[in-house]
Amino acid sequence: MLKYTLRRLLGMIPMLLLISIVVFFLALAMPGDPFSGEIDPNNTDPEYIEEMREKLGYNDPIHVQYYDWITGFVQGDFGKSVKYKIPVSDLVAQRLPNTLFLGIMSLVITYCFAFAMGMTAGRKPYTKLDHFIGGFNYMMLAIPSYIAGVFAIYFFSFQLGWFPFNGSVNIAVDEGTLDWWLSKVYHTFLPALVLGAMGTASYTQFLRNDIIDNSNKDFVRTARAKGTPESRIYNHHILRNSVIPLITFLGFDLVSLVNGALITETIFTYPGLGQLFLTSVQASDYPTLMTLTLMFSFIVLVGNLIADILYGIVDPRIRID
Amino acid sequence: MEVVPNKDPQLKTTKPPKSMSPWAMARRKFMKNKLAMISLVYLIILAILSFLAPYITTVDISRVNIGQMKLPPSSEHWFGTDTSGRDVFVRLLYGGRVSLFVGISCTMIILFLGVIVGAIAGFFGGIVDSMLMRFTDFVLNFPFLVFVIVLNAILFGKVGGVGVLIGVISLLGWGGVARLVRSKILSEKENEYVLAATSIGGRPNKVIMKHLLPNVLTTVIVQATILFANMIVAESALSYLGFGVPQEVPSWGNMLSASQQPEVLQDMPWIWVPPAIILVFTILAINFIGEGVKDAFNPKSFR
Repeated sequence: MLKYTLRRLLGMIPMLLLISIVVFFLALAMPGDPFSGEIDPNNTDPEYIEEMREKLGYNDPIHVQYYDWITGFVQGDFGKSVKYKIPVSDLVAQRLPNTLFLGIMSLVITYCFAFAMGMTAGRKPYTKLDHFIGGFNYMMLAIPSYIAGVFAIYFFSFQLGWFPFNGSVNIAVDEGTLDWWLSKVYHTFLPALVLGAMGTASYTQFLRNDIIDNSNKDFVRTARAKGTPESRIYNHHILRNSVIPLITFLGFDLVSLVNGALITETIFTYPGLGQLFLTSVQASDYPTLMTLTLMFSFIVLVGNLIADILYGIVDPRIRID
Repeated sequence: MEVVPNKDPQLKTTKPPKSMSPWAMARRKFMKNKLAMISLVYLIILAILSFLAPYITTVDISRVNIGQMKLPPSSEHWFGTDTSGRDVFVRLLYGGRVSLFVGISCTMIILFLGVIVGAIAGFFGGIVDSMLMRFTDFVLNFPFLVFVIVLNAILFGKVGGVGVLIGVISLLGWGGVARLVRSKILSEKENEYVLAATSIGGRPNKVIMKHLLPNVLTTVIVQATILFANMIVAESALSYLGFGVPQEVPSWGNMLSASQQPEVLQDMPWIWVPPAIILVFTILAINFIGEGVKDAFNPKSFR
C-alpha cells in the first residue's frame, strides 16, 4: 500500500507541472499584462512603464518568465492583485476560511441527510417510505444546484425571512465571540444546504443499496440467530460494513466542492474563493486568476488522488495496476 | 409405396416464427415504459416548438420595449414580460432553441472525440494505450467549470458567440467517455469474432468500426443521455454566471440570470420561474429516457 501511495504521489508531480504550464500560457493568451498589478496605474509615462516592464521581467524569454513565476509561486509569492492592490496571498488567506467553512458545513449536512435517509430506506426497502426517498433523490439529482439556490433564496430568505441571502457573517458582531460564530453558521447554513444537497442523493442511494446487499449476508443471519436486537444489527453490524465503501466518495467530494463553490458562492454573494475567482475573471485580475486556477487544479488533483488511494485501501485488487 | 399427397398447403407456407432482433426487443421494452415514453413525447414537443419558434411567433425578441416592462402574466403575454419588456414565453421558446442546440452539439462532439480516443486506446493497447490514457487523465484533472470560464474569457470576442462555448465545453469534457469506451473495448476485444475478423486480414479501423463499435453502442447511447442532461446543465449554469452564451442570445440560463437582481427574484417570479421549471423538467425527462434505454438493453430485466 505504501509503495502504491508513493507511486501515485510521484505521478502527481509531472501532472502539476503540466497544469502549471497550461495555466501560465492561458494567462499569457489573455488580453492584458499578467503582472500589471505591480505597475502604478496613475503613472502613464511610457518610460516608467517600460522600466517597470523590464524590472518585472516582461522582456525576458517565455521560459525565464515561467521559471520566475513558478519559483515565486512555490515559495508563496503569488504576485499582487490588480483589483484589490494587496498581495494575492493575503487575499486568499482572507477568503479561504470562508470557503473551508462552507465546504465542511455542506459535507456535514450531506452526511447527516444521507445517513438518515439511506439507513431508513435500506432498513425497509421497497416500502412506501423507500420509494418516497428514492423519488426525492431523483428530483435532487435533476435539479441543478444553482436553480436550487435561487429557489432556496426565494422561499427561505424572501418569503419566510428565515435566513439571510448574502454575506458570510454579521459585520456588527466582534470577531471570535460566540455570537460571531453563531452568526457565521446562520449565514452559511443556506448555501451549505444547497451545496450539500448535491451529494446527498448519490450517498443515500449508495448506502441504501449496500445495506440491502449486506442484510442478506451470513454475518447478519448469525447475529439474528444469537438474538441480537434488530436495531443493533442495522446500526452496528451492517452499518459498519456499509460505511467503508462510502469513504471513497470523499475524494470526489473535494472535486465537486470546487465546482459547487463557484456557483453557490456567486448566488449567495458569499465571500469565498469561488466568488473571488469569478470577480477576478471579470476584472482581468491575472495574478489572482492564475493563483486560484492553479489552486483549484491542485485541489482536484489531490481529490482524485485521495479517491484512488482510498479505493486501493478498500479494494486491494486496484493496487496492482 | 404410397405417395403422400400434399394436402395441407398451409403447412408449407408457414415459416418458423422469426425471432426478434435485439434492437426490436429493446424498442418494444422501451415503448412499454410509460415514464420514458411520456418523457420522450415531452422532449419531442419541446424540441419541435423550440426549433419552429421563429415561425410560430411573430414577436421580435431582440427589441427592448420600454412601454411593456415587467408586466405580469396576461392573455397577451402568457408568462408576462421581463425587465426589458420582452415576452417571457417567446424568449422561453427561443431559449430552448439555444439550450437544446448547445446540449446536442456538445454531446455529439464529446461522443465523437471520446469514442475515437477510447476505441483506439482500448484496441491497440500497449504504448498507444498508455500515452492516450495519460493524456485523458491530464484532461480529466482540470476543474471543468474553472477552465471553461477561463478559456471562454480568453476566446470571447475573438470567435463568434455560441460556437466558443460548444468548443470549449467539448474540448474539456470528453475524458469520461474515452475512459468508459476504452474499458468496454478492452473486454470486448477478447472475443473470438474480433480474432476472426483480424485473422482474415481486416484492417484495424475496419475491425473497430464494423465489429467492435456496434457492440459497445448500447453503453455509448446510455452515456449520451447522461451527457446530454449534463451539458444542458453546464450551459445554463455558465450562462447564469455570465460566462456562457453571449448575454443578448436568449437561453434558459441567460433568462435565469435575471434572478440575480433581488427585486426580480422577490417580486417578479414570472420572469425566472418558467425557465427554471422547464429546465428541471427537461433534465428529468432526459434522465427518465436514459433509465428507459438502459433498462431496455438490459437482457436481465423483465418489466
